[in-house]
Amino acid sequence: MSTVTPVGVRDADVVTQTPPAAGRRGWVGYLTMPLILAVVLISLYLYVNGRELDSIEARSLNAAALSTAVGEHVALTAVSTVITLLIAVPLGILLTRPFTRRVRPFIITLLTLGQAVPTISVLVLLAVMFLFLGFQAAIVGLVLYAIIPVLLNTMVGLEQVDENVLEAGRGMGLSRFQVLRRLELPLAVPVILAGVRTALVINVGTATLATYINGGGLGDVIMAGLSTNRVLVQVVGAVLTSVLALLIDYLAGLAENLLQPKGLRSTRS
Amino acid sequence: MEFLEFLGNRADDLLEMGLAHAAIVGAAVLIATVIGVALGIATYRTERPREFVLAITGTFLTIPSFALFILLLGPLGLGWPPVLFALVLYGLLPVVRNTITGLREVDPAVIESAQGMGLNRRQRLLRIELPLAWPVVITGVRVTTLVLLGIAAIGAVVNGPGYGEMIFTGLARVGTPVAVNMVLAGTLGVIVLAVLFDLIFYTVQRLTTSRGIR
Repeated sequence: MSTVTPVGVRDADVVTQTPPAAGRRGWVGYLTMPLILAVVLISLYLYVNGRELDSIEARSLNAAALSTAVGEHVALTAVSTVITLLIAVPLGILLTRPFTRRVRPFIITLLTLGQAVPTISVLVLLAVMFLFLGFQAAIVGLVLYAIIPVLLNTMVGLEQVDENVLEAGRGMGLSRFQVLRRLELPLAVPVILAGVRTALVINVGTATLATYINGGGLGDVIMAGLSTNRVLVQVVGAVLTSVLALLIDYLAGLAENLLQPKGLRSTRS
Repeated sequence: MEFLEFLGNRADDLLEMGLAHAAIVGAAVLIATVIGVALGIATYRTERPREFVLAITGTFLTIPSFALFILLLGPLGLGWPPVLFALVLYGLLPVVRNTITGLREVDPAVIESAQGMGLNRRQRLLRIELPLAWPVVITGVRVTTLVLLGIAAIGAVVNGPGYGEMIFTGLARVGTPVAVNMVLAGTLGVIVLAVLFDLIFYTVQRLTTSRGIR
């Protein structure tokens, strides 16, 4: 395989999908995003409210239909994220144990290339190959797609833990398992939190496509607009999807800052 | 066997879609690289602008692609324009982030010696900092390419070019034998492009990295 990561470039540089962690910000910084999102939602509401909706538009654009779509979207995102993390984080820990040292560059290259597999392919393949449609199929598709970036994140993050610290731990007489539990995992908490955020952001985006396999979610609203040729419905669906994605990313970022182990907080740049 | 037959029958189509897919991703990567590297160089020294640029480009990547394509439908219409525009937005973050990381990781001692040798700010950037940061920058470009290859497939919802069309047509024929072939062929096409692009980047990286740090 000629595509191994060359010298001078660490594996960390191949992780894309992690949104950059927000740095230290004042309370103004914390309020910017919710304010922008609120303004967008209010203007959208006022605009739609001021329009005469025809019966087709009214069928999609009412509180009941929209809240169902949002509820389904949140459910798709939450369930798929939990399953993704349950699979990807332990697998990441397993794949960074010493016995995989030889094959690790190969695995990372493969995972990097795997990021090119289109999300829509994963969902659609389930549909056309196994005639597997609906909410559960969407969950399987979302998890299959999100595992790659989260796994990549976890592996790269664990590798970044300073080798000297681990050696110090072994020198103090800790067993391999104790080193993992008492040094590596706590030091990797930021990485795991970043993984949670990555999984959430990816899943909330991919869940939009669940509509293609009858999985529900906000994609339904966009599709309803597309199939009936109603631009207003399409735009409402797309804006709600974007607002939801940005809100989830924002909340995950907050959680990331709050849950950071205290001892590590000051070292972040 | 049946799948191979399908590939044979549709070889012309598949090749044409592959070229279109590669072309739009290639163009988007090129534009994103130029803008991204410029933004990185402009902001890597000062904290506020740097965090601002990273936050904005990160926000682009958070917006789901399906939604963004639909939102661009109004201003840019159908076809390649909304796809190209969206791909450029999605491609910025990895390039900007790696440019900033790469430039900031250049050893301050090296920069000081360059200063001591009388190089001015521009010469330092062009002759010392950028060559040293280059491998990291190009890794960002490489990753951008891989991610954009996948996102481009969704561009088919706004009649964008490439393998997405094959995948979505396959979905429309769900239940028929040809559906599986179409979706598999489209997916495989994207993966083949990913491997090809990666090989190209590997070569480019080898050829453009300063010999001293290879």
